[in-house]
Amino acid sequence: MHKKLPVLLLTSVFVVATCGLIYELIAGTLASYLLGDSVTQFSTIIGLYLFSMGIGSWISKYFEKDILFWFIQIEILVGLVGGTSSSILYLVFESAASFRIILYSLVGITGILVGLEIPLLMRILKDRYEFKDLVSKVFTFDYIGALLASIVFPLLLIPYLGLIKTSYLFGILNVAVALIVCLNFHKEIKRASYLKIASIVSLLVLLAGFVLADVITKYSESLGYNDTVIYSKSTNYQRIVLTKKGKVLRLYLNSNLQFSSDDEYRYHEALVHPGLSAIPGAKKVLVMGGGDGLAVREILKYPGVNQISLVDLDPGMTNLFKSNPMLTELNKSSLLSPKVKVINADAFSWIRSQNEKYDFIIIDFPDPSNYSVGKLYSNSFYRLVRSILSEDGMIVVQSTSPFVAPKSFWSVNKTLESVGFFTTPYHNYVPSFGDWGYIMAATKPGYKVPEHFPEEVKFLTKEGIAQMLYFPKDMQKQDAEVNKLNNQVLVKYFEQEWGSVSYQ
Amino acid sequence: MGFNRKGFLLRSALVMGGIFLNGCVRKLSGRNEKYRHIKGHLKGPDEKAGHMLRDKIVIAEPSYSKKVKTLIIGAGISGLSAGRWLKKQGMADFEILELEDHAGGNAHSEGNTVSSYPWGAHYITIANNDDELLIDFLKENGVITHFENGLPFYNEFYLCFDPEERLLIKGQWQEGLIPKFGISQQDQEQIDKFFALCNQLKYAKGEDGKYAFNIPLDASSEDKRYRDLDQMSFKDYLVKAGYNSAYLLWYLNYCCKDDYGQQIKDVSAWAGLNYFAGHKGTAANAESGAVLTWPEGNGFLVNKLKSYLKPHIRTSVMATSVVSNKDHVEVDVFDMLKNQTYTILAEQVIIACPQFVNKRILKNTDRNLFDYDQLNYAPWMVANITLTDFPASGLQTLSWDNVPYGAPSVGYVYSGHQQVDHGKQAKVITFYLPLCDREPRVSRLAAYSRSYDQWLDMIIPELEYMHPEITPLIESVDVWVWGHGMISPSVNYIWGEDRKKARSSVAGQIFFAHTDLSGISLFEEGFHQGINAAKSLLEVNR
Repeated sequence: MHKKLPVLLLTSVFVVATCGLIYELIAGTLASYLLGDSVTQFSTIIGLYLFSMGIGSWISKYFEKDILFWFIQIEILVGLVGGTSSSILYLVFESAASFRIILYSLVGITGILVGLEIPLLMRILKDRYEFKDLVSKVFTFDYIGALLASIVFPLLLIPYLGLIKTSYLFGILNVAVALIVCLNFHKEIKRASYLKIASIVSLLVLLAGFVLADVITKYSESLGYNDTVIYSKSTNYQRIVLTKKGKVLRLYLNSNLQFSSDDEYRYHEALVHPGLSAIPGAKKVLVMGGGDGLAVREILKYPGVNQISLVDLDPGMTNLFKSNPMLTELNKSSLLSPKVKVINADAFSWIRSQNEKYDFIIIDFPDPSNYSVGKLYSNSFYRLVRSILSEDGMIVVQSTSPFVAPKSFWSVNKTLESVGFFTTPYHNYVPSFGDWGYIMAATKPGYKVPEHFPEEVKFLTKEGIAQMLYFPKDMQKQDAEVNKLNNQVLVKYFEQEWGSVSYQ
Repeated sequence: MGFNRKGFLLRSALVMGGIFLNGCVRKLSGRNEKYRHIKGHLKGPDEKAGHMLRDKIVIAEPSYSKKVKTLIIGAGISGLSAGRWLKKQGMADFEILELEDHAGGNAHSEGNTVSSYPWGAHYITIANNDDELLIDFLKENGVITHFENGLPFYNEFYLCFDPEERLLIKGQWQEGLIPKFGISQQDQEQIDKFFALCNQLKYAKGEDGKYAFNIPLDASSEDKRYRDLDQMSFKDYLVKAGYNSAYLLWYLNYCCKDDYGQQIKDVSAWAGLNYFAGHKGTAANAESGAVLTWPEGNGFLVNKLKSYLKPHIRTSVMATSVVSNKDHVEVDVFDMLKNQTYTILAEQVIIACPQFVNKRILKNTDRNLFDYDQLNYAPWMVANITLTDFPASGLQTLSWDNVPYGAPSVGYVYSGHQQVDHGKQAKVITFYLPLCDREPRVSRLAAYSRSYDQWLDMIIPELEYMHPEITPLIESVDVWVWGHGMISPSVNYIWGEDRKKARSSVAGQIFFAHTDLSGISLFEEGFHQGINAAKSLLEVNR
């Protein structure tokens, strides 16, 4: 055997060990990003990984001839599977049902392959060293590699490269080791040219992945999110991005924050209960926008309500909130309730064809930052809403921040009044949004603060509402124009007012 | 016909030679790589019918004859409006003939899976408050929903949504079409001065107590002070009045191209000013000068007019000769689908065709020696462009009307603008190019000789100028060439002798209705032309 072999093989032990641990860490991190509950994810991943390594070691005894050939082949395979695993997991996450199976299979395969490597290596080297030296050398490099991996992973790799690039990088290292060994010992290896070609092709694939990963991560993660992006998808209508930091989930639609899981209850309780609790006999409720099902979660706290229609444009959004376990935990699977009918349609077109009446209507659209959303805040739209509101019914409209955008807020109020509604504007503090505004409207005057709220309410009280109804000096009512289809003043107000603040 | 004929032939030959040579070069070099993915066709009014009329092809002798009390020839706005009026007066025995396979004339529209879109006229201005006939029509059809404080309340889904217009000037899209981005103080002053003048003219009245400018224009004052403005070009008028701001003149030129298909040098000052002072309608829920529009443009109004007239309209039927006899009018008719000729014997006929058609079909009438050659028709090219997506850079302020400063076209209209829903990613835009760089006859011949790819060469660079990187997003471009797009209000046409002569009816039997008899091609004018002809016809009957 060649003189250089032992040195080279021991170096590869080191690389193999580093890579192995990195793959394990990547799988654990990704699983806890995507599935939440990092303790469970990490411990199941580590357990499965070590167990799979055991299987690998056990299988190693069935390899009898051409061990160097097999070692190189397995090295290439580990590089390919490990290198692409994080991309695969990201890509299949959207089809959530099969996600765990794929996750655990990938972890299992990587574990088995890595588990094969060390025993095979030891057998290659067994004639070079005495047994005690062999064990000591191999395991020393193995554990040093592991230490190195566990230090650089959180300190250098994740911050500077990100998950996807890291896994491609280590895939490349793995295959590179295979190629170097192969090039140096091609005389001693059967079918060396096959291995060379295989490793070069794999290197190119991984390299392409590394370069593409840059594009992908640039697209999904460099959109200005502070937290880790755990889900992102462009539907026909919008870009949905879910981020996670600690326990806090945040949903962004077209880069605008929709909710933050730690304080969304403040927003949704304020949106739903002041109105709905004031209509004792309410049976039929309509929600427009709000495809996250969080407002519906609040409505389901009223046993008297037996029919909830949710109209949201984007099936991508409502399906995500029906199926993703982290999100169904947040909305208490509200969209799966038998009382709830989800209608994926454009609210304006939909409402034009309706004549059924509703007792309570929640209008929870994105802020009027462009002309196509601006139409949903127009007098023409509110006139249609009025036509499907039952006699004693009430509506509530999310109306942006009366602190940041008072003119916009009071323009919504004025627009509602212009079609004959009696309005009750109010606001509350939602830490991740700031001071936020809502407007209730009814066809009769005389809103009365309700005495009772559902028991599960975390934020709202009767006294609280009294405060919410009060507008301090800096948010006083302003003169503003009625928003119409043919003037779209609201979009202009909104642009001026929010344009002058930088937020998020 | 002899005047200037030699010069005309020479210029035509040069222009067409150029187009032909360019076409040859294109054939040799192959289709532009960048356009290879673009689908579409070259369309236009039925050429077969046009040629048959023009070249006087011998058509078979009529095989039979039938009687119709009243016949209307032409189902453009004027013809449809005449039919509607007859129907409203209780007449049932009438037919409307149309040589195209659809009614609507200039207001024709079509659609694809993305959207409906116009092929020509695509909006009207809110009605003048004294135009009761138009207001009635709009009310009947839900365009006006009710009245508040005596003012019409327009259907909010038909009033043009905001953002209405934008102008690409100095690399920037500004709101509104009157240049304001980066113009000098002096320019601004001239613009302000001109619009102050228009505001004053809007309410100016002649000695007869009528508005100096009005729509329909025959309702305006006969006061010589104002009518004399018809005898000079709009450009001369502006120069004389001291207007020299390039931005103001561009804007006025754009307006005349947009409404009249001609530049300020080729329309009369009266017509030019009427553009700004004629519309004075006010509404309960819209600003003065607001416009009403639909995805299919004025095709919407065509459908409303047609709804009164379903059993009366015959399409793909061409009148080939109209002869006035003592007791009836004999109209030879060629049914283009059945390939059959027959004669219609009508007591009375309303001809709602352009005069260049009338010249060929009217056989034994001299129409008071009216000179057909005094009428100029502006040729147009209209393209409907389907985009798979709109370039992100231009999307945020995408307006109904989008115009590039200083370009040959008058920009494009976004047909999806009046949709209330979120809208599709794919969009249809309608691109309008008046062919007014040369005299109409030359431009028309040139337009007829251009190939589809040569039109793309004219359209796409302008689109790219407005929206860089738009070409890959273009799925299809359909091109429609209107050889005689619209009447031009040339100097001395509106208040000249020929228009007066052309309008007079023949022997109480034949009546005329068409926007070329008013001089400006607006829906309102066609609408009133039709009603006036129908009224005169009924008057004779009484």
